[in-house]
Amino acid sequence: MMMTDALEAVLVREAKIRATNSLFIFWDLLYPLGYLLVFGIGVNASLGFTSGLAGVDYNAFFLAGVLGMASFGIASNTSWSFFLDRDNGIFYEMLTYPMRRSEYLLGKVLFNELVGLVQALLTLVLAAALLHVPVRFDRLPLLIAATLVGTAGWFFFYAIFALRIRRNDAFNTVTSVFYFVFLFASSMFYPLDPLPRAFRIAALANPITWQIDVLRYATIGVGDTLSITIEAAAFVVFTAVSFAVAIHALTDTG
Amino acid sequence: MSTPAIVVQNLVKTFDVRRRPIRAVDDLTFSVHRGSIFGLLGPNGAGKTTTLRIMTTLARPSGGSVEVFGYDVVKAPLEVRRRIGVVIQEQAADLLLSVRDNLLTFARFHGRAGPAVRTRAGEVMAQFGIEDVADRKVQDLSGGIRRRVQMAKMFMVDVPIVFLDEFSSGMDAILKRSVMDMLRAQAASGRTIVLTTQILTEAEELCDDILIINHGRRVAHGSLPALKQLVGRLHEVTITFDRVPDALPAIVAGYAAERVTVQHNTVQLQLRDEEPRVLELVLALARHGRIQHLEIAGASLEDVFVQLTQQPEAQR
Repeated sequence: MMMTDALEAVLVREAKIRATNSLFIFWDLLYPLGYLLVFGIGVNASLGFTSGLAGVDYNAFFLAGVLGMASFGIASNTSWSFFLDRDNGIFYEMLTYPMRRSEYLLGKVLFNELVGLVQALLTLVLAAALLHVPVRFDRLPLLIAATLVGTAGWFFFYAIFALRIRRNDAFNTVTSVFYFVFLFASSMFYPLDPLPRAFRIAALANPITWQIDVLRYATIGVGDTLSITIEAAAFVVFTAVSFAVAIHALTDTG
Repeated sequence: MSTPAIVVQNLVKTFDVRRRPIRAVDDLTFSVHRGSIFGLLGPNGAGKTTTLRIMTTLARPSGGSVEVFGYDVVKAPLEVRRRIGVVIQEQAADLLLSVRDNLLTFARFHGRAGPAVRTRAGEVMAQFGIEDVADRKVQDLSGGIRRRVQMAKMFMVDVPIVFLDEFSSGMDAILKRSVMDMLRAQAASGRTIVLTTQILTEAEELCDDILIINHGRRVAHGSLPALKQLVGRLHEVTITFDRVPDALPAIVAGYAAERVTVQHNTVQLQLRDEEPRVLELVLALARHGRIQHLEIAGASLEDVFVQLTQQPEAQR
C-alpha cells in the first residue's frame, strides 16, 4: 500500500468521526471569531485598550492571537482523540494496520488542518468585514502556511504527552497548565515590550509567540522581516522536533 | 514443504518494574505452519499477550527475532502489518462510526475501497448477524455486538494471518460456534490463525498445533495427541449405576486412581493406567452394580495444561 492510501484512510476515518457531530464542527469553525467578538471588542471598548503599536487597535492586534489560539485549541482537541481511541480499544488495533506511525500522526492532523484553515479564513474575512481590521490579504499564502504548520506543530507537541500519559485526568491537568503558561506567557494578548524582563524572555522563548508574531505579520503587517523569518524558522524546527519525538512515543507505545 | 508463516527464535522481552527487569518472555523459540490453527496457551501472566504483541508489531522485542512470512517485525514492520489482521483482547471498535463504516474503514486501511468492498461488508454483516444494525453507531450497541463487529472486520480482507487474542470473550455460545466454524474454513482455505485463549475446550476443538508457555518459557509444543502423550495414560471414567456398589472403595483401591468423586449414582474416576487396566476396573465394577451409562475419555487439554504448568520445570 502506498503512503497516500494510509493517509487517506486515516483522513477519511477522522472526517467520518467528526462528521457525526455537526455542532462540534460548527463551533470549531466559529469559536475564534466568537473569541474575537467577545473578548476583543470587550477589551477594546470597555477598557479603551490599545495595542501600543501605532495605528493598530486591539481588535487588529488580537486577530493573530485568536488565530494562534485556534491552532493551539485544535491541536489540543485532536490529541484528546488518542485517549478516545485508547478507551475504545481501537488505538492498539490501529497500530497493527498497514501504515507507518508517521502516517497515523500525519493522517490524524490532516483533517484538522483543513478545519483550521477554513476557520482561519472565515475569521479573517469576518474580522475585516465586521470589525474593520485592516487585513493584509496579499500575505494570505504566509497566513495559510503559518496556520498549517502551527496546527501541526502544536498537535505533534501535544501528541507526545497524550501518548506518554495513560490517565485522562493527568493529561487534563497537563493541557490546563499548557493553556495557562503558553497562552499568557506569549504575545497572544499583549505586546511584549512593556513587560518585565523575565516575563519578556519567557515569552520570547515560547513557540506560540513565534507563531503569533508570524501570524500578526501575515494579517496586519506588524513586525520586521528578519525577526519574523527567524521566528518562523524556529517554529518549523519546533514542529520537526515534536514530530520526531511523537513518532518515538508512538513506537514506544507497545 | 512450505516455509513457516511465523518463525520465532530466542525471543526475549523484558520490562522494568520498579527498576527491576522482569522477563515476560524468556528465550522462546517456535514456528507456526501456514494454514494451521496455532494455539498459544498459558496461565495468566505467562507471556501470551506479550508474545502476540511482538508478533503483531505492537511491541518491540528485547532480544531474539520474529519473522512473519519472512519479514522481521522490527526491520520490516510495515510488510508484516500488510499480512496480518488482529483481534486484540479488549473490545476495539470505532464507537462513533456505524457498524458498516467500521468494516469499510478497516478495509480502506488495507487498501480496499469501492462497490466490491461494500458488497463484501453486506455479506460479512449477514454472516455475523449484524446486518440489522448496519447503520447504527457502535456506541449504541451491546458489548456482544461490538465484539461481533471486531471479529467481522477480519473477514473483510484476505490477509494471510489472523491473530486472535481471547477472541470468544463476550460471545454467546451460538455465535462462538459459528465463528469457530468460520475459522476452520479459513484455515482450510490456507489462512493461518494464531489464537490465545483461556478456554481450553476451544483450543482443543480448534488448534492443530499448541504451544503452552509459563513464566515466558516454553513448557510444551505439539499437536493435541502429542501433548496428551506427555502426561502419560490419563483416563477420565464416568459410570452411572442403578445404585453405587458398596464395594467401590475396595475395588478402586487396586488401581492408580488419582481422583474419585461420587455424586448421586454417578462415579467419576481419573486413572493413570494402561487401557486394558481401565477396562478391567470397569468390568470389576459391573460385577457389583448395574451400569446405566458409561463414558471413558482420554486426558483433556485442561488436564494436560494443569499438569504441565504446575509441575516443576525439572520434571518436564
